[in-house]
Amino acid sequence: MTTDATGFATAKSPLGTDAGAVLADIAGMLRELLEEYGLDDAEITRETTFHEDLELESIDLVALSGTLREHYGNRVNFAEFVADLELDQIIELTVGQLVDHVVASLRATEAS
Amino acid sequence: MTRFLFVVPPLVGHTNPLVGVADELTRRGHRVAWAGYPDQIRRLAGEDTEVFETQMPDAGLTRGPKLTGPAAFQFLWEEFFFPLAGLMAPGVDAAVREFGPDVIVSDQHAVAGALVAERHGIPYVTSVTTSAELTDPLSSMPKVEAWLQGLFRSLREQFGDPEHSTDPRYSPHGIVAFTGRALLGDTPLPNDHVQLVGPAIAPRAAQSGFPFAELDPQRRKVLVTLGTANVDAGERFLGEAVTALDGLRETVQGIVVDPGGLLAERPGGIPSSVLVREYVPQLDLLPHLDAVVCHGGHNTVCESLYHGVPLVLAPIRDDQPIVSGQVVDAGAGIRVRFNRVDAPRLAKAIESVLDPSEGYKAAAEAAAGSFRSAGGVTAAADHLDSVAARTANVQAAG
Repeated sequence: MTTDATGFATAKSPLGTDAGAVLADIAGMLRELLEEYGLDDAEITRETTFHEDLELESIDLVALSGTLREHYGNRVNFAEFVADLELDQIIELTVGQLVDHVVASLRATEAS
Repeated sequence: MTRFLFVVPPLVGHTNPLVGVADELTRRGHRVAWAGYPDQIRRLAGEDTEVFETQMPDAGLTRGPKLTGPAAFQFLWEEFFFPLAGLMAPGVDAAVREFGPDVIVSDQHAVAGALVAERHGIPYVTSVTTSAELTDPLSSMPKVEAWLQGLFRSLREQFGDPEHSTDPRYSPHGIVAFTGRALLGDTPLPNDHVQLVGPAIAPRAAQSGFPFAELDPQRRKVLVTLGTANVDAGERFLGEAVTALDGLRETVQGIVVDPGGLLAERPGGIPSSVLVREYVPQLDLLPHLDAVVCHGGHNTVCESLYHGVPLVLAPIRDDQPIVSGQVVDAGAGIRVRFNRVDAPRLAKAIESVLDPSEGYKAAAEAAAGSFRSAGGVTAAADHLDSVAARTANVQAAG
């Protein structure tokens, strides 16, 4: 069963479940979030860290969590993902880790 | 007469709100002594203040501009508040034995005060100087919360009563919080004993003159300050702020606080349109101001809102992003990015908060009303009085 057939796709973009498409989606969300604060030129790759590179605060992660929910619905639970991390892991958190989590979550719901 | 012992970390923002409370309690006939760093406490509370010295870290809390986010949080607890508790505890214990307080008032981040109080079985009241530490910021990160509780457990084994299990940041006997609903919104509070008294606006020891005559009645006045704990982080930001204010000089008079002398190296020097001072008497200056640009430090934010002054917020770390978010949610300010914002963007934010049609001023006035009705130092002293009375009754009955 594809996402298109179930009508899950949003008007903005069809939901890709491959890592490249998810990275592009998340980079777009991050740029939108960062633009408000004057960081619109950031290069966002899998290796980009949320805290050191993007200077996001925990309250920004809460905002990102909301955007992810809007985009992917209940299939992706970012809050649960963050809740499972130790402090050192939160400090080092990269965009690639979030991409992998989203891809795994999307595939898990597709498979079920 | 009740004997109160105030326990504070070597941080101005944590000490200042209690100075007015100590004066009010003394006025009511109580006796107040302090435990902490005598030089700083006497500088803020007056030369004749009774202070019991405790050990202090060799260096103050200094961190570069890039230490932010969860890494700054880890540093703050692991490298500062946690060792601070161990250093302060023996001195607090000695102060308790010598002074014999009926009630201990312990800053939320001077954990030694809470733990030594519980070991001696003396009721203690937590002094909270930031709205952020009432909102359970770690609720979404249970493993980080567990790490912090682990630090508290190890401190409690050494200095507290291991039979107890309450969080030493939230006394079960009472909490005086120098903040209010204007910032907290309808956030639930950590327990039922929290008294939200608003900012403690009380006269402070005069430190140096300010050239009030140089304030220009024809222009709007905008203060830029990064508070007392971020002296080492502000060079780039203050430079952009001076450029932004100079660009607005036709309508705006900028006043920039530069305690570290960071602007001395600024290429091109300081334009004559901008007033740069090492120190300003912030409370005396606030009635003259139309906007404040700051780091989102809780005291500066509350004092500004108390005077109905809207804010531009450039949070650096710790509680500042949370406090700034609360101001933005209240509609009384605009948040910018401390390490990224440039002069044009800063100028735009300043113009926005100064423009009455954008609503920031009205929201700041609303916050002022809410803070002014919270009671300040009088309400704080009332709460401490009631805790003392309750304790005395229990002792009389028992």
